[in-house]
Amino acid sequence: MKIKNIIAILFISGLANAQKSEDLIPKDAVTVFSINNFNLLQKISLDELVQYEFMEEIQQELFDGSTSGKTLKDSGIDFDQKLNVFYGRGEDHEVSGFTFGIKNKENLFMVFDDFERIESPYPGIEYYSSYFNNLIIKGNSALLIRVEPTMEKVDEMTDSIWYSRGNENPWYIDDYIEVPEENEEEVFEEEIFEEMEPELKPESNYEFPEAGEDPTQKNYYELRDSVQSIMQTQLLKELCDELLIEKTNLLTYDIRFAEQLTHTSEGIFYLDNSRSVQKSQGLWYFQTMFPSLYNDMKELYTGNVLLGDLLLHDNSVEFKMEARYGDKIGSIYEQMNDSKFDKNVLKYIHQDNTAYFTYNINLRQAYEEAYKVVMPILTDERNAQISANVLTIELLNEFVNKDALFGTYKGSMFGTFNGIKKIKTTKIEFTYDEITYEYIEKEVEAEEDMPIFTIGFTTERGDIPEKVLNHLSRLTSRFQNMGSYWIYEDAILDAAPLYMINKNGLFIFTNDENLAVNHTNGFGSSALSKKEAKKSKKSGFMYAQVDWAQAIDRFPKDFFSAEQNEIIDAMRGKTGIMELTTTKTTKEKTNFNLVYNFGGTYDNSGKYLLDMLNSLYVISK
Amino acid sequence: MKITSFIAFLVIVLSFTSCIEIIDDISIKNDGSGTLKYTVNLSSSKIKINSILALDSLDGRKVPTIAEIQENILSFKKALEAKSGISNVLLDYNFTDYIFKLQCDFTNVTVLQTALKEVIQEVSKEKNIPELEEIWLNWDGTKMVRSIPEITVKKTKDFKQEDIELMKQGNYTSISRFERTVDKFDNASATLSKNKMAVMIRTNPYALTQNSNIIENTIYLTPIKN
Repeated sequence: MKIKNIIAILFISGLANAQKSEDLIPKDAVTVFSINNFNLLQKISLDELVQYEFMEEIQQELFDGSTSGKTLKDSGIDFDQKLNVFYGRGEDHEVSGFTFGIKNKENLFMVFDDFERIESPYPGIEYYSSYFNNLIIKGNSALLIRVEPTMEKVDEMTDSIWYSRGNENPWYIDDYIEVPEENEEEVFEEEIFEEMEPELKPESNYEFPEAGEDPTQKNYYELRDSVQSIMQTQLLKELCDELLIEKTNLLTYDIRFAEQLTHTSEGIFYLDNSRSVQKSQGLWYFQTMFPSLYNDMKELYTGNVLLGDLLLHDNSVEFKMEARYGDKIGSIYEQMNDSKFDKNVLKYIHQDNTAYFTYNINLRQAYEEAYKVVMPILTDERNAQISANVLTIELLNEFVNKDALFGTYKGSMFGTFNGIKKIKTTKIEFTYDEITYEYIEKEVEAEEDMPIFTIGFTTERGDIPEKVLNHLSRLTSRFQNMGSYWIYEDAILDAAPLYMINKNGLFIFTNDENLAVNHTNGFGSSALSKKEAKKSKKSGFMYAQVDWAQAIDRFPKDFFSAEQNEIIDAMRGKTGIMELTTTKTTKEKTNFNLVYNFGGTYDNSGKYLLDMLNSLYVISK
Repeated sequence: MKITSFIAFLVIVLSFTSCIEIIDDISIKNDGSGTLKYTVNLSSSKIKINSILALDSLDGRKVPTIAEIQENILSFKKALEAKSGISNVLLDYNFTDYIFKLQCDFTNVTVLQTALKEVIQEVSKEKNIPELEEIWLNWDGTKMVRSIPEITVKKTKDFKQEDIELMKQGNYTSISRFERTVDKFDNASATLSKNKMAVMIRTNPYALTQNSNIIENTIYLTPIKN
């Protein structure tokens, strides 16, 4: 063997055995974002980076001046390794953090300057701690992690210890002493409560648990802090034992994640929906009351995972997503999405629209398949309540005319947003008498802005909605049959009419007067171009297109939550067309492709990447 | 999200054309007693108001229901009726066109100002509002000096950009009526009715926030004929 080959083999095996940042992702991670092309981020300033929500866990360490004026390049991070951001939620805890490579430890600790080295319980592992965060270094890779028990679990444990020690209800005050009105303490507490968010205010404002008489005994809050701290330590130990001793990480636990990591796109995304559903706290009642049913339903979701790739092209950003299903859920989706595209909808989408979508499903087939899959699970449950529900469903299944039901609402629909138009309305004006300046009210015509939208449903039983409309028109004169369309006066916000068109196998709601009065058979030559229509037809069960330039910049921040604003901020100021296409759904998967085409080039492609990843993080969290 | 909420949301987000009209009308009799009429007309913005009312919360705050607004209006009326020197309190509200009218009689202008100050303090639950201490209406039997309560200016200065746009398109009309004819007045933008017994100043609410003196006026009346 030539020396060159030996070196090559040694180099490859060295690489294979080298510690990589992804090896430190814990198994408990349910959502992971991996940035492959980390080099893109070299120019990102650390101050900018820590503003992202996915960095919130370490913000308290980094917002102390240690990052000022530095870029990621100066932070000692190894850009040849991936940066992996993860989040997971167990039944009684949350875990979040990220893993990355280290090139220069000295520089790294100039940024993470609040971390103190503590004795490591694991050989060959460096262990650092700062407040709630832990930094674990193995070779040239690091894991920054925070594990938090849920407050419900902490409270449960604290209550248990508190009562077992013979304490009274911590919220009960035996002797209420009336405090004089001007008491400074009360004013102070009142001010605290005034400043608190309403939802955080305790229900009984002044009923704090009192400190015990014995100063060596912890009061309720001190006990709770201790419980939280112990639980945190235990949870972290369990996680680290699994990761560092048993060598079980997400890569070894889920082959689909390992496979996704081999992609060369700029970033990859992983969301294990099955674990996300199982660990959802909203299901605790279900889990407690009907454990076997819960297990069966859990099985339904087994195998459900979302895998995504983020690609940066010259003039577009592409997000490819694959929704993989388990057999049972997959069979329902497959039947649901097995539907012929209704070409009639295309006639009702104006070529100058701001946004539109087409959604093409077969509700009847989905119902039949869901009945086949879910009913045996429900029937097996030995519970009076569930059994009664099963009987109700079975009887409805027998008695209800499914042909009429699913013929009326087949499941396919479309929607358009056609911008803002002036609509006619009335207002009251005051007119003044010149002699006395007395005034009288007069109703005059006015105009107000109204977003113009259309929503339509495919139906093969147009006679059924017609029956309902006829009935309504007998009840109120606000409902009128205008021949080719129906009008419901003042239906929208008591000011504008709603039009209904029941034609061509479609039942359409719109506030677009032009469509109702002049185009009940569609927009004709002003409808979507053939090229655009073809895109909708070719897409799987869904197609959507939005002109961001017109839509997103008009969304004021105040109307959204902080999480929604994260997503909007990522889009704000960016122009172009966003397009969502899907493939045909099989039992195993559906592919989604979201492409954002824009004019010009990236100012900072790394920034784009982080914006997108942060948006995904916020959505999936 | 319900469809009505969704439409409401779109309207709020996408439309900014709306305006407000305020008429502030005071009649003073020779003995110093009189009638205050205060009208707020939001009929030009009813789509936007209906949109807001269709939402559960806006800007992080709960949107009151019509019943809650009615309740607040009635508690304002009740509080005003209880003030000495104030009588015939009428409150008319129209939730179709969004027109709200307050009318009350007062024995003298000091009583009116004190009553309004106390009612605002009771309703807002703020005990210390320095702007309420200011005298905005003065009558000595021969002349009336009036301005706009400073609290109105203060509150409108906190408004956001969208609200400022709304105010720019709005109208603020201030009318002063008397039992005898007006001799002269200071404010050059004021006009005199043809019967010479009423003075009117019209501006927009935004201009008022920028210059609260815009509406300030001293009106001199002709002497009472014996």
